[in-house]
Amino acid sequence: MTELFFPVEARRARRAGFARLVRIELLKLTSTRLGYGLLAVVAVLTPVWTSIAASGAGGSSGGPQPLYTLAGQTTVIAGGVWSMIIAMVLGVTISSGEFRHHTATNTYLAVPDRNRVLAAKAVVGAIGGAVFGIVGCVTALAVGLSFTAAHGYRLVIGAGTLADWSVGRVVGTALLGAIGVVVGSLVRSQLAAVVGVFVWSLLIESLIGGLFPAVRPYLPYSTATTLAGTPLGEAGFSPASGVAALPFAAATALLVAIALAGALVAARTTVRRDIT
Amino acid sequence: MATIQIRGLVKRFGPVTAVNGLSFDVTPGTVTGFLGPNGAGKTTTLRILLGLVSADAGAATIDSRPYRELPEPLHKVGAVLEAAGFHPGRTARAQLRIQALAADADASRVEDVLDLAGLTAAADRRIGGFSLGMRQRLGLAAALLADPEVLILDEPANGLDPEGVRWLRGLLRGFAAEGGTVLVSSHLLAEVAQTVDSVVIVDSGRLVAQGPVAELTGGATGGGDLEEAFFQLTRKASR
Repeated sequence: MTELFFPVEARRARRAGFARLVRIELLKLTSTRLGYGLLAVVAVLTPVWTSIAASGAGGSSGGPQPLYTLAGQTTVIAGGVWSMIIAMVLGVTISSGEFRHHTATNTYLAVPDRNRVLAAKAVVGAIGGAVFGIVGCVTALAVGLSFTAAHGYRLVIGAGTLADWSVGRVVGTALLGAIGVVVGSLVRSQLAAVVGVFVWSLLIESLIGGLFPAVRPYLPYSTATTLAGTPLGEAGFSPASGVAALPFAAATALLVAIALAGALVAARTTVRRDIT
Repeated sequence: MATIQIRGLVKRFGPVTAVNGLSFDVTPGTVTGFLGPNGAGKTTTLRILLGLVSADAGAATIDSRPYRELPEPLHKVGAVLEAAGFHPGRTARAQLRIQALAADADASRVEDVLDLAGLTAAADRRIGGFSLGMRQRLGLAAALLADPEVLILDEPANGLDPEGVRWLRGLLRGFAAEGGTVLVSSHLLAEVAQTVDSVVIVDSGRLVAQGPVAELTGGATGGGDLEEAFFQLTRKASR
């Protein structure tokens, strides 16, 4: 009993290193089923969407262009970016889940510096997002290329472009995962935050992009999807015409800036609130 | 060993003053009961002490430092504030591993505290299936992971069966006997009377009385005597 309470070993007098905070958040993420469930959603939804798009390519009902064209192959291979929205949902659950399950008390007792906790969660949101991006990329490529080959069409997208899209999909999904963490910190209601992610990404960005096409390249979800090769606006409901997507570096920088700005706002507002 | 100091603490939630100029000390080697009716400000005071709620005025320190400034807080303070504060989909062992990592405690401590709390057999079950008493035990196990010098517990006997209450009593007495500092809020006065050395009684956010149990009850130490003293003191304060 005595040894249990007061062992001889000296007390450590240093703050938890940031790498340890990231490990803690990773352990939290991997010790429940939600993250795996969302990953399964990505692994199922992406090939299903890609299969439907490939099957309807060249049809007369407003589907993608024929699969032997560049536009058709682009839509089929680069269009299934569900992993990006699901990564945002993952990020939301990483942060708002602390309030949904009342675990924030234990979290902040262990690490009283809440801004460091937020930063660690954002890193883990990005790591989780990157994994989602890899799974989404592999499944979309596998299904899209399989359909193209099965029809005997030549792949008109260059290998270099496919590599760029793959890297872009992983980077974009990772950054949206981090942005999701920030959203979940700003909106503590998990349900509201998750619904908000879908409404913003699919409806509001489509609306804003439709009304003000010049703004579309600067909207976060639209921008992230262009990193994966999706034509600007095609992941929403109002494809943009005549407006160019941002270059890779600019789009990445924009998403990083949005994540940092949101984190700054959260750190100065919601993150400081009393945990009652 | 660490002393808890509360000095002139004030906390308002809108028009409601939850804590109103509260001051008291908790010394090492003692179990101190923190008593008061519902809404007296006990939980708010504990949350301010633990850096979870910010005070409008005054100071709350452990070992002369605010909780947020403690270098390795889990090595100084073990706290249980809410039995529901665990992810229901996580196993007890996973929960303790996370907290061991957070405390930079040796992984072997997880098995030690599971054994101490009598949860070894349930360690790989999801917490969502735990009874309230099992959650309380898990909270106490987590609080003890990093061998703290101070224990701060909010209603720890809630949900515990008679055997669990007895176990808790022995745990707290043993902890204090080794020089630890214990502050435990409760409304189970009969139980408190058997466990604590001294009490701090609050009502409407103000200090009503503080001192050894025997002193407040006029020398008697039974649960009924503490209950009588508690009602007399809080009634007098509310007049």
